[in-house]
Amino acid sequence: MTNSHRVGVPVEAPPLPGQAPVVAAALAIGILLLGIQLWILTVTLDLFLSGRGGQLWLLAAVSGLIFGGGLGVLWVLRRRPRVRHPLA
Amino acid sequence: MKPHQPAYVSAGDREQRRAEVRRWRAEFPYHWDVDDLVSRRELLQFAVFASGALFVSTAALAGLGAVKDLSGTESQPIARVSDVPEGTAVYFNYPSSDDQAMLLHLPGGVFVAFGQKCTHLSCSVYFQPEHGRLYCPCHEGVFDPATGEPIAGPPQRRLEQIALQLQGDTLYAVGHTP
Repeated sequence: MTNSHRVGVPVEAPPLPGQAPVVAAALAIGILLLGIQLWILTVTLDLFLSGRGGQLWLLAAVSGLIFGGGLGVLWVLRRRPRVRHPLA
Repeated sequence: MKPHQPAYVSAGDREQRRAEVRRWRAEFPYHWDVDDLVSRRELLQFAVFASGALFVSTAALAGLGAVKDLSGTESQPIARVSDVPEGTAVYFNYPSSDDQAMLLHLPGGVFVAFGQKCTHLSCSVYFQPEHGRLYCPCHEGVFDPATGEPIAGPPQRRLEQIALQLQGDTLYAVGHTP
């Protein structure tokens, strides 16, 4: 951060050293989980169309668990804003 | 020996280079500073939104499946056993008037019933006793008449099987076999 920033003006906080690969890995895992959710949807559709729709709640629960995890990560990130106010 | 490099650029070359830059700018009118960058947080928000959409779709299918499972089906008379000779089929509608189905009398006195809807693209499946198979003429799908399992062609799932019950001399459809 340089001294050219004005006091009280929020600036973007760069990730801490070593944190950027962690964030990238977390995003990659998230995208992978999204793919698993898509696969679950196709399995659910296949079972539904074949008339075996009685036990689909388990697949919906797993999909909901992944969605809940994503909401949890968003909630954590909301508590850690991306901008910070430089000191004088 | 290095080739000779001219220490000056002629006016014609400068004009040609300017023309090339103008053409490049016209074809790609974006500047780095005004380009929209998607942050990791925005990408994550989009991913969570997509995840929610996938979850809602899965839950909707699960709900429809549960409702369909709970609603059950009524018993319906199909035909008298004596009216269905061995190696023939009787076509009927079950569970609703829009759902076509077939009752087969297989060799050995075995009766089975399946929905006629092909599991590939929902064309009607027919019994071909001369070939001993269930045949879908749309894409040449073939099913085993004893089990309803696909044995040739594009279908991957077995036909919907209808449970049968014999009451006196009459066969009844009493729901679907899981």
